[in-house]
Amino acid sequence: MVQINLPQNSKVEKGKFFKDKTGSKNIRKVNIYRWDPSTGENPRIDTYEVDMDNCPSKVLDLLNKIKNEIDPSIAYRRSCAHGVCGSCAMNMDGKNGLACTKPHSEIKGDINIYPLPHLKVLKDLIGDLSTLYKQYESVEPWLKTTSKTEKENIQSKEDRAKLDGLYECIMCACCSTSCPSYWWNGDKYLGPAVLLQAYRWIIDSRDEDRKERLKKVADELKLYRCHTIMNCTNACPKGLNPAKAIASIKKMLATS
Amino acid sequence: MKENNPLSPHIQIYNWHVSSLVSISHRITGIVNYFLLIFICIWASSLFFGEGAYEIFKLFLNSVIGKFFIISLIWSYTFQILSEVRHWFWDIGLGFELKTTKITGLLVIFGSFLLTILIYSSKGFLQL
Repeated sequence: MVQINLPQNSKVEKGKFFKDKTGSKNIRKVNIYRWDPSTGENPRIDTYEVDMDNCPSKVLDLLNKIKNEIDPSIAYRRSCAHGVCGSCAMNMDGKNGLACTKPHSEIKGDINIYPLPHLKVLKDLIGDLSTLYKQYESVEPWLKTTSKTEKENIQSKEDRAKLDGLYECIMCACCSTSCPSYWWNGDKYLGPAVLLQAYRWIIDSRDEDRKERLKKVADELKLYRCHTIMNCTNACPKGLNPAKAIASIKKMLATS
Repeated sequence: MKENNPLSPHIQIYNWHVSSLVSISHRITGIVNYFLLIFICIWASSLFFGEGAYEIFKLFLNSVIGKFFIISLIWSYTFQILSEVRHWFWDIGLGFELKTTKITGLLVIFGSFLLTILIYSSKGFLQL
């Protein structure tokens, strides 16, 4: 259901202010969403003054700098730092993306960092993605065949090309958590990330379960809650197009 | 424990894009147009109840509020039509590139204002 306001326990309060101690002249203010599960308090926004003269270019570098030099208590996910693992997905400057590939010079004014939108927060910038993973499992993201052949299952170059723009997805959840339909119906609507994956297996020429896959996804809530808002494509840090993938599933259903 | 975990901010913090703005407007104008059709039906039926009933509508539509009302409805209608054309193209799988959606979205917004001005200013020819 559409719930515009945040619940009472989620209302964001003003937090602490960490004043610059380096005396640098190149200072930027960074506002970060904080929530500590060990206290019973509401989430808050802590503000950090960061010396930008000694800070590498990406938002993740900025977070690392804050964690290393100012406040070690801040929690966020990160791993590869090269836009491949999808761990450091978060909301920066009102838009989802990977902190490791987003340059902070692209952000004007104060830098606002929030967890991915409309998720249960586990701590600070870490959101709970278990629903999304369950939905991912529900599309059975593996090759399914019934016929038994002794030979290698060969795919033509043309058929392989159909997977381009789909297989690159790193499941960072930037798209799904940017989607208002997913915010309001996240328990039933599969969301752009999972639907893109569903399409990736539907379109694979080696898969022999296409009909069943299509039948399974053809659901008022699972699929047709997509209203082409396009936030997903706008958010994708890998430049993929989940909205187009969803439209392709709808088109396949309408023409089959 | 999960019960007490807060929900991260969503619509409060998320940036608006051209495409999301057109999308929500498409839905709102859809609802407005539903009532617009009812209004047109009542307006037409007022003819059956004679000149007096029709005069009431005329009086309302020529007042400042009435004019604002009519201009808003023309905009709502033209916006819906243009946005719907955009959706037809999407339905056949065209125009999903990020740049294209931005351009077509802007076309819908400016086109609807332009059409509103054209339609309202041509009412003299139609003798309304």
